[in-house]
Amino acid sequence: MKLKTNVSAIALAATAALGAGQAGAWSLEEAAKPYAGTEVEVLFLDRPGYAAAIKMLPEFEAATGIKINITTVPYENALGEQVRDFVAGGDIDIALIDLVWIGNFAENGWIEPIDKFTGNAALADPDLALDDFFPLVLNAFGGWNGTTYGLPFDNYSGLLFYNSCMLKDAGFDAPPATWDEVMNVYGPALTKDGKYAYALQSKRNETQSADSFARMLWPFGGSFLTAEFKSNLSSPESQAGLKFRQDLMKYMPEGIVAYDHSEVVNGLAQGDIAFITEWSAFYSTLASPDTSTLGDCLAVAPEPKGPAGRKPALGGFSLAVATQADEAEQAAGWLFIQWVTSKANAGKYLELGGVPARQSAYADPALAATYKFIPALVESWQEGVPEFRPRFAEWPAITEIVQEWGTKMMLGEVTTEEGAKVIGEKMEAVLAEAGYYDGKKPLAQ
Amino acid sequence: MSTRIPRRTIAAFLGPAIAALLIVGIVPLCYALWKSLHYFNLTKLAQSRFVGLDNYAFVLTDLVFWQAMGRTGLLFITSVPVQIVLGLTIALVLHRPGLTFWKTLTRLSLVLPMATTYAVVGLLAQVMLNQKYGVINQMLGWIGIDPINFIGDPTNAFIAVILWDIWQWTPFVALVLLAGLSTVPPEIEEAAQLETKSNWTILRHVQLPYLIPSLVAVLILRTADTLKLFDMVFTMTRGGPGAATEFIAVLIERVGNRQFDIGLASAQSIIMLAVTIVLARIYIRLFYREVR
Repeated sequence: MKLKTNVSAIALAATAALGAGQAGAWSLEEAAKPYAGTEVEVLFLDRPGYAAAIKMLPEFEAATGIKINITTVPYENALGEQVRDFVAGGDIDIALIDLVWIGNFAENGWIEPIDKFTGNAALADPDLALDDFFPLVLNAFGGWNGTTYGLPFDNYSGLLFYNSCMLKDAGFDAPPATWDEVMNVYGPALTKDGKYAYALQSKRNETQSADSFARMLWPFGGSFLTAEFKSNLSSPESQAGLKFRQDLMKYMPEGIVAYDHSEVVNGLAQGDIAFITEWSAFYSTLASPDTSTLGDCLAVAPEPKGPAGRKPALGGFSLAVATQADEAEQAAGWLFIQWVTSKANAGKYLELGGVPARQSAYADPALAATYKFIPALVESWQEGVPEFRPRFAEWPAITEIVQEWGTKMMLGEVTTEEGAKVIGEKMEAVLAEAGYYDGKKPLAQ
Repeated sequence: MSTRIPRRTIAAFLGPAIAALLIVGIVPLCYALWKSLHYFNLTKLAQSRFVGLDNYAFVLTDLVFWQAMGRTGLLFITSVPVQIVLGLTIALVLHRPGLTFWKTLTRLSLVLPMATTYAVVGLLAQVMLNQKYGVINQMLGWIGIDPINFIGDPTNAFIAVILWDIWQWTPFVALVLLAGLSTVPPEIEEAAQLETKSNWTILRHVQLPYLIPSLVAVLILRTADTLKLFDMVFTMTRGGPGAATEFIAVLIERVGNRQFDIGLASAQSIIMLAVTIVLARIYIRLFYREVR
C-alpha cells in the first residue's frame, strides 16, 4: 500500500514536473509556428495607445511570422464598421470593443470567450496572469454576464488634469478634492480675465453621454437605471447631479456644448482653463511640449468626489477574437491579443504612450515619478463602476437619446426634470422593445 | 436603303447603361423598399420580422422626423434664393464682354469650393468658426466685434450652416446660369441693348426665358442636395447643438448607422425620395409651362 502511495506520489511529481517543463517550454515562437504567414485583420483608432501598439508590432511579426493588418478609423466609425463587417461575415478577425459595446458583441455571438484559448495549452501563455489585470477593468472592458471575452488593451479612467501654476497663483496648493469645492471655491476664484476654472467636454456625441452626462450622475448618487431597469434619471440624486452640471456651466467657457476632447485638452494645454476631467489617455498630449505649453505646471489627480463618492468616468477598449475568423486566424489573433496585453510587454507599452491595465506595471515607484498620472489612475480604478454607462446591446440607441436631450438640457431648451422625463420614457421604450420587462432578457448591464 | 437599326445594336448600346442603372439604382432601391417593410436592426437580427407599413406609420407620426424635415426646408428656403441671386449676379458679370483673363481666373476659382470634399468643408468650418481659436472670430476682433459663439449656440449654428452652404454652392449656381446665358443668341441681346439701356429689362424679357431650364436644373439639383446634406453638417456640428442642425439626412444616418435600425431608416429614405420626386415634378410643371 505504502509502495503504491509512493509510486503515485512519484508519478504525480513527475507529471507536475513534466507539466512545469512544458509550461516553461512554452514560447510565442513555438506557439505561432503553425500560423506563420496567417494574416489577421483588426481596426485601430488614431490614439496614443494604438500608436504604441503599432510601434511594438514589428517585434511580434518577426517572432511569429503572423501579419497583423491594421485599419485605422475614427472612433465614430469604429462601431458601425465592425457591426456591418460581422453581419456580412467580413474580414475582421479581432474585435476592438469599447466597454459599452461588449454586451452587443457578446449577445450577437460575434466574439469568442477567452476560455476557448486559455484552455488550449498550445496557445495559452503560462504567464497570462489574468489576476494581474485590474479586476474592475478586466470585468468592465472584457467581461459580459460572467464570461470574459476580451483582454483590456486601451485603458482609460477619468482623471483631473490641472495647471498647478494657475492654481498656485490663485492661492491653491492642491486641486479640488470634491465637486462642492469646484463649485464654491475653485470656480469663483479661477474664472476671471478671460480664463475659466473648468471645462466639461459636452459635444453631442458619445462625449455628451459619457464624459458630461454620466460624469455628473454617479458622484451624486444617481444612475441611468434602477435595479429593475426603469429610468432613475428623475431620482433626487440624478437630478442633483444634472442640476449641478447646469450650475457649474458659469465657470466654463461659453459654448461648452460644442467642446469635444480636443477643445478642452487644448484649452488646458494653452493655459486658458485651470482644470479639466479627461481620460488618462490624454496625458501624453498634455505632457508633450509639442502639443502643450504646460510643462512642469501639468499635474494630475483623481476626479473630485461627490456626495456618493468619487465614481470616476470609466472607459476603454478590449481586444477579443472574432467568431467569424477561421481557426488559424483565431489562433493567430489570440496570440497577438495575449502578447500585446501581456505582463511582460506592459512596461514597454507604457513607455511608448499606452496605458496598460496590468497592476504589476504600476508597482514600480520610479514609474509614478515619470508618469504623473499613475497614482491617480490606480486610485481611480479602485473606485469606478462597471455600469458607468450601461454595457448592454441597447446602449447605441440609448446614447443617441441622451446625447440629444442632454445637450438640450445644457442649452436650457428643457429643464433637467423635463429632459430626464423624455430620456427616461424613450430609454424605457427601447428596453421594453428589447424584452427586458417581459423576462426575455436578463437584467444585465 | 433601310435606316432601320437592328434590335441587337440597340440592345448593345442601351444594355450596359440599363444594367448599370439596375445595379446601382434600382436594385438597392427595391432592397430598401423591402427592408422598410421589416423590423431589421443589424444588432438584433434574431428579432427581424415583417411589419408591413408600421415603419411608415411611425415615421409619418414621428415629431422628430418632421422637425428635421422642417429644418431642412428652412435651410432650403433661406440658402437657395441667396445662392440664386448671388449666382445670377456673378454669372451676369462674367457674361459681360472684356476682361477675358480675369474672367477665366474667376471661373477657375469658382470651381474650388465645389471641388472641396464636403466633409473637409465641415471640418474647416469647425476650426475657422471656433469661438476662441478660430480665424473668423480673430478677424471680427480686428474690427471690434466680440467673439461669436458660432457652433455652440443653436441659432448661430444653424446660420453658420446656411452661410457655409451658400459659400460652397453659389459657384455651382453661377456656373450653371453662366452656361444658360451663353444660350441667349447674341443678336437678340444686341438688339435689346439698342432698344433699352435697362439691364433689368434685358434680364427680365430677354435673358430670363433662356435661363429657365438652367434655373429648373439648379432648383432640382439643389433640392436634392439639400435633402441629402450630410457630410458637411456631420463634421461641423454633428446635428447639434441639441437638434439645431439635425437635418433629414443627418437623422436618417443616425437611425441607420448608429442605432442600426435599417428598416426604419429605409422607410425614412423612401419618404424622402417621394418628397424629392414630388418637388421635382412641381418645378418642372411650374417653370417649363412658362417656357412652353
